Amino acid sequence: MKFRCERDTLAEAVATAQRTVASRSGALPVLQDLRITAGDQGLELVGSDLEITNRVHVPAQVEEPGVAVVPKLLGEIVRRLDPGPVTVSVAGDEAVVTAGRFTTSLRLKPAEDYPRLAPNEGQGVRVDAAAFAGALRQVVRAASKDDLRPILTGVLLTSHAGGLRLVATDSYRLAVRDLKGVSMLPEGQRVLVAAKGLTEVQRLAGDGEIEVVLRERDVVFRTSRAEVTARLIEGEFPNYEQLIPSGYPNRLVVARDALLEALDRVQIVGQNRDNAAVRLAMSATGLELSMSAQDVGSAQESLDAKYEGTELTVAFNPVFLRDGVDAIEGPEVLLETVDPLKPATLRAADGSDFLYLLMPVRTS
Amino acid sequence: MRLLVATCAVEYQGRLGARLAPATRLILFKADGSIAVHSDSKAYKPLNWMNPPCVIEDTGDEIVARTPKGETLRIELHDVVLDTTVPLGDDPGLEKDGVEAELQQLLAARVQALREDLTLVRREYPTDIGPVDLLCCDGEGRTVVVEVKRVGEIAGVEQLLRYQERLDRDPRFAPTTGMLVAPVIKPQARVFAQSRGVTCVEIDLDALRGGPDPALTLF
Repeated sequence: MKFRCERDTLAEAVATAQRTVASRSGALPVLQDLRITAGDQGLELVGSDLEITNRVHVPAQVEEPGVAVVPKLLGEIVRRLDPGPVTVSVAGDEAVVTAGRFTTSLRLKPAEDYPRLAPNEGQGVRVDAAAFAGALRQVVRAASKDDLRPILTGVLLTSHAGGLRLVATDSYRLAVRDLKGVSMLPEGQRVLVAAKGLTEVQRLAGDGEIEVVLRERDVVFRTSRAEVTARLIEGEFPNYEQLIPSGYPNRLVVARDALLEALDRVQIVGQNRDNAAVRLAMSATGLELSMSAQDVGSAQESLDAKYEGTELTVAFNPVFLRDGVDAIEGPEVLLETVDPLKPATLRAADGSDFLYLLMPVRTS
Repeated sequence: MRLLVATCAVEYQGRLGARLAPATRLILFKADGSIAVHSDSKAYKPLNWMNPPCVIEDTGDEIVARTPKGETLRIELHDVVLDTTVPLGDDPGLEKDGVEAELQQLLAARVQALREDLTLVRREYPTDIGPVDLLCCDGEGRTVVVEVKRVGEIAGVEQLLRYQERLDRDPRFAPTTGMLVAPVIKPQARVFAQSRGVTCVEIDLDALRGGPDPALTLF
């Protein structure tokens, strides 16, 4: 195999593909590398941990077609080269990378050891890339990163009221986003997609449209920059609808950016502390945020806010609260509460397509 | 403490399923309500066990322990070699510096667990005769000297009184009040403490360690 490719093009492609190579010990060693296929259409670079696969196609001048499994070290090498063409030549178990007056040789693992990945064939439905990526930005953050609860590491995609609904929860918070008019799934169908894969889709969404191909065991997202294949998670997603309270006696409306900035300032005293909680004291005079940590100190900040309801103080995990506020699009945030121990809801004061349900934390 | 040595098969159903094939083992029934199955090898840990609260049924041929969470430990007795019960009585407790240090650290973070109006002034407050475990201030601004022990005994009260006597010489702190804190306080120590105006507080170490989980969940 021998090809020539522009440094910037190759560096970006390698960076994208290597984000999904296996990093865990115990995985097939060959999965820690990239598979590069050179053919008539240029190059295909694949990085996969068998759960998420990034597949990138880039133009290249292919002198000799072939397949090789190249160490991801290639990315660091290419990134440090001067702009210009890079030549990669593979012979036996060695790849020689040449650019200008630089040359290096890399030992290769046998290409035949790389697992066979299902080809990304099939036609899918097209969705607006920016809208879908925006919805993922809001929802994926609520998915769990705990592999011991695999169902919660996924994002539920389900048809809802003629559109698409995305739902994620880690049991402490729940994010629900409706994309009206997006018919990605047949009515009644629901699939659970690994959140890690959707993070890649969000990152690679780009402009235009994303083509979504739903298959038996995985789903392929074809973006303008790469194809992301994410496995489907089997299992029953929690019945999230019953978790959302039907009504709230207390409503607080506060400026989103001001709240985010205040949270950033106040939570400094509790950084890196388990069980740190930010208290929100809500009354007719506005909102007061406070946080304290033994042996560190305390911080308070008051904000102008409109409040309807009884005076109430509720404490939240500051990171989860900030995530929720940050996910909201719009100038004002509506925080609805019942009492200090029941779930509260965050949403845009002027919108209803996104909801972030958050459990308070108990304080002594 | 009941010790039962028997050839038995054991099956556990709960968070996972586990089975022990028939073999001769030691089964311990402790006064705290726990049951543990030991073999003659594999170090000090039981092969299987169940902590209280659990309900233990013994039919002679079979012993079944159940927890409120639905976990079940079933011991099928094949051949009983020994079955004896020995009352061990109260244990004086292991004297271990680390336990007191942990207790002190936990209490420093939540002095309100001792009394609602307390605030911590300083942990390990230095005096000429040694550091005071916790120096606190009550709702009326009075200094409260807290001595933390794993087991509250007369010696602990005496130590606390010495610290108080020392701090009472300092007008910033005088007059101080004393508080002896331990998971268990012996009756003699309690009587002596009361006669010297020292408050005794017994605390639940497990509750202090874990407390109610502050992170509530949606499901």
